[in-house]
Amino acid sequence: MNGYAGKILSVNLTNHTVSELPTRDYTNWGGGHGMGSKLFWDLVDRSRLGTMRAFDPDNVVTIMTSPLSGTLAPGCAARTEVQGIGAQAYPYEWFTRSGFGGRFSAMLKYAGWDGIVLQGASEEPVWIDIRNDTVAIRPCAELSLWGTDIKQCQQIIWKYVMGGADTGNWFGAGSGRTTQLPAVLAIGPAGENLSRAACLIHDAANSSGQGGFGAVWGSKKLKAISVIGTGSIHVYDPRALLQARIEQVRQYGYHYDKPVSKSIPNNFQSPPGQAVVWEIIPFFATRGGKRPAACIGCHSGCRRRYASGIGNEAVCSEAAFYLDAKSRQFIYQATDLLNRYGINSLEAYYALHYCKDLHAQGILGSGKPIDCPLDFSEYGSLSFIRQFLAMIAYGTDGFGGTSDFGQHISQGIVRAAQAWGRLEEDLATGLLPYPYWGYPIHYDPRAQLEWGYGTILGDRDINEHCIYRLKYLGGGAYFGMQRPPITPGQVVDMVTAKMVPFENDPQMLDFSTDNMYSEHIARLVCWHRFYTRYYKQSLLFCDSRWPDFINPYAPHYEGSTGHIEPLLIGAVTGETMSFRDGITIGKKIWNLDNAIWTLQGRHRNIVQFSDYVYSFPFTTIAKDWLGKQNGQWQYISVNGRQLDRQGFEAFKTLFYSLQGWDTTNGWPTRSTLASLGLQDVADELALYNRLGSE
Amino acid sequence: MEKEYFIPKNHLLCISRRDFVKFSGMMVINASILGRRINELGKEEVTWGFLLVDMKKCQGCISCMLACSLVHHGVENPSLSRIQILQNPYGCWPDDLTIAQCRQCVDPACVAACTVGALAPDPQFGNVTRVDQEKCIGCKRCISACPYTPSRPVWNFEDGYSQKCDLCAHAPHWYWDESGGPEGKKACVEVCPLGAITYTKVVPDQTREDSYSVNLRGLQWARLGYPGWDLPLLDRWLAEKDKGGIR
Ligand code: SF4
Ligand code: SF4
Ligand code: SF4
Repeated sequence: MNGYAGKILSVNLTNHTVSELPTRDYTNWGGGHGMGSKLFWDLVDRSRLGTMRAFDPDNVVTIMTSPLSGTLAPGCAARTEVQGIGAQAYPYEWFTRSGFGGRFSAMLKYAGWDGIVLQGASEEPVWIDIRNDTVAIRPCAELSLWGTDIKQCQQIIWKYVMGGADTGNWFGAGSGRTTQLPAVLAIGPAGENLSRAACLIHDAANSSGQGGFGAVWGSKKLKAISVIGTGSIHVYDPRALLQARIEQVRQYGYHYDKPVSKSIPNNFQSPPGQAVVWEIIPFFATRGGKRPAACIGCHSGCRRRYASGIGNEAVCSEAAFYLDAKSRQFIYQATDLLNRYGINSLEAYYALHYCKDLHAQGILGSGKPIDCPLDFSEYGSLSFIRQFLAMIAYGTDGFGGTSDFGQHISQGIVRAAQAWGRLEEDLATGLLPYPYWGYPIHYDPRAQLEWGYGTILGDRDINEHCIYRLKYLGGGAYFGMQRPPITPGQVVDMVTAKMVPFENDPQMLDFSTDNMYSEHIARLVCWHRFYTRYYKQSLLFCDSRWPDFINPYAPHYEGSTGHIEPLLIGAVTGETMSFRDGITIGKKIWNLDNAIWTLQGRHRNIVQFSDYVYSFPFTTIAKDWLGKQNGQWQYISVNGRQLDRQGFEAFKTLFYSLQGWDTTNGWPTRSTLASLGLQDVADELALYNRLGSE
Repeated sequence: MEKEYFIPKNHLLCISRRDFVKFSGMMVINASILGRRINELGKEEVTWGFLLVDMKKCQGCISCMLACSLVHHGVENPSLSRIQILQNPYGCWPDDLTIAQCRQCVDPACVAACTVGALAPDPQFGNVTRVDQEKCIGCKRCISACPYTPSRPVWNFEDGYSQKCDLCAHAPHWYWDESGGPEGKKACVEVCPLGAITYTKVVPDQTREDSYSVNLRGLQWARLGYPGWDLPLLDRWLAEKDKGGIR
């Protein structure tokens, strides 16, 4: 089997047994998310989905790779997809997903596994030691792993697996040899203590954050998975892969000799290491030497490693989590603490600011209605943030003492606000900016329509920048802070031409207020759900590098998306497929996900944003959304608008009918499922009276 | 894409003719009879060549390793790559990462160690030393003999023979029109997205460990916020200042 390792590792944590599942049974789901959803569907007790919560031992967690993992396909070789019932969402603990980069997925493939399925829960803390075909479930007690932070845990495991061999030399791993460190995915104290803000982290800062899977592992008493692999991934056409790789990177990647813009963090053509917020603002930049740090196979790594070794590999919100710090050094020291405790950065950021706001209002603090042991006069110091993060990780006062406040914030700030009796009010005013499913705001649903709709019609903050990134054109960041040499109308035509099967409907990218509940936007959301479910989350094209829509180095600025994805997949697997075929598989995966949510209790009535989204306008000074005004395509402002409840209800109806689902409840219908080859799923929904009417 | 390489002249130190003879063993003298000359600039050159690397620039993507195993074996497997990137995600730049490429020694201990002549200069390709897998008896003597860590000859445990960097002379899964080898392209050089590997025929100082490390960064690199310079004392001082309280 080209591209695939051929087998999936199934681990039963309750009775400490392992077995194999043949990958062949799942290849028509692509890889990653598709395979993970199907495995979850097959293995979970579906009769219990309505009541099963994240910490239920029967929760099934999948950790999946793609056929491109560990290959030269640029920006496609390193993501790992994690799925299961998540602990973070509120009030419904949806079946959800998360992902991370680094070396883990490639190493798992070299070890001969396309993924891992975790079932059950161990009584004693354990870790899983994978060395090629040899898999052992080992007690944490042997190495005193339980209680370690993420860095300590990985260092202990590296040493153990390498058998004391020097780093920097060959060492034996099963029948093979390698010079590479074992790839370890671990939880820190936050996961062990079931904090719903807990991540899984690999290497210095590759975090699987959203979903609270760190806590799910904690509930299964699973501290870490270590994998070392020395086997080969077979490639269908090595020459074609090499050619596609080199030509793609040379044509569409950053041109060092002809740089267009050096500060785009999030594109195929981005220069390396630009997703570190403190680094691209000169005032915050670390001094001294540094390098970009890439995931396996990436043509332009987004992270950095520093001469101080502090803040290594952190990007985006984890890097910017404590920008309020009193000293520049504290910013990245706080980032390291976050990653060592294993805490979700966006959740920590919003929790911190919410607490600060409540303190400013005199509601939260020592002896205040919300009694809190933090000394806010120390806000901005390292000791303050250390205590705050320790509270989240341990559920204590930050120093090992008991604290109701610590208990509350370790459950995530939404549940803390509920415990303080503030949730309803603060979601109504937006003081707690959590617009959907208990997840913090990312890009505002009143402005960035596909983001908000995609999230509320799904399970989590989507964190997919495919469409959002077009704003950089309006802001000028693509072309060295100049307005691009193509018109907004040309951008719209170029991008929508690729949005099969809804191609050539320019109104799909019209973000103006008149268009925000239209069928065109419903098509955009459908396309985006299908594209990301297959290409980003199953074939694991990295969100930071794909899709390549508009590219300043390409002829006529037309990026490579549409033709390059099938080329890379075909070179590795030998499958002949079109871009459209991938979108169709994405639709199938999205339908299976909706079937799972439906069994969990999803109904259109509960698909609602928090109240503030409907009551308060979004404010911005930016004018960089694509939109049609007075018949002309322009970059427009969306300042001052809010969502309208009726408008959103009408939008849901359009969306469900485009999906071929029952518009009264949002449940999948038999005909739609059957058209995707999912008759068995329809039968199962019928069994539980959850099949939508035609 | 054209890449600008900035190679300070003093990085390519050449050894004198006398030193060369001093550090050369039998096998190399044989090779060097065919493969050595003094160029117009008075530098020692060979008919094969040397990969030079910039370990301060490399992003650790191991694309070079994936390219090496792909062109030689048609598979992706870092363990079969003849160039190895070793790194520690928690390490301090520049010591967090090492590029271990074969040095194509002018006095190769690996060649001297091979008792069956399987590891030998290949006259077809400018005398680059390579392992003839048909002749290799799998004794691993070359692996032990290579004075560098990790050893540059790589044990191919899948097929049971030793292999080493042949400058891509024998790469069956090649796609370029031009062949590999000393006069052709090298997959790792071509694939490296940062231009952190380059190639020369001028002999690097065989007596120094660091003579294969060069500065390939230059002005563009500095513009992206990375050090384009080589000022280790300044770097260390700035790093210490940035460490602040904790590690
Ligand atoms: S394998 Fe070792 S001894 Fe042989 S040429 Fe390469 S570096 Fe020199
Ligand atoms: S020159 Fe060729 S054989 Fe040598 S390390 Fe590079 S890719 Fe491998
Ligand atoms: S391809 Fe280049 S940047 Fe990537 S690991 Fe190899 S030498 Fe470093």
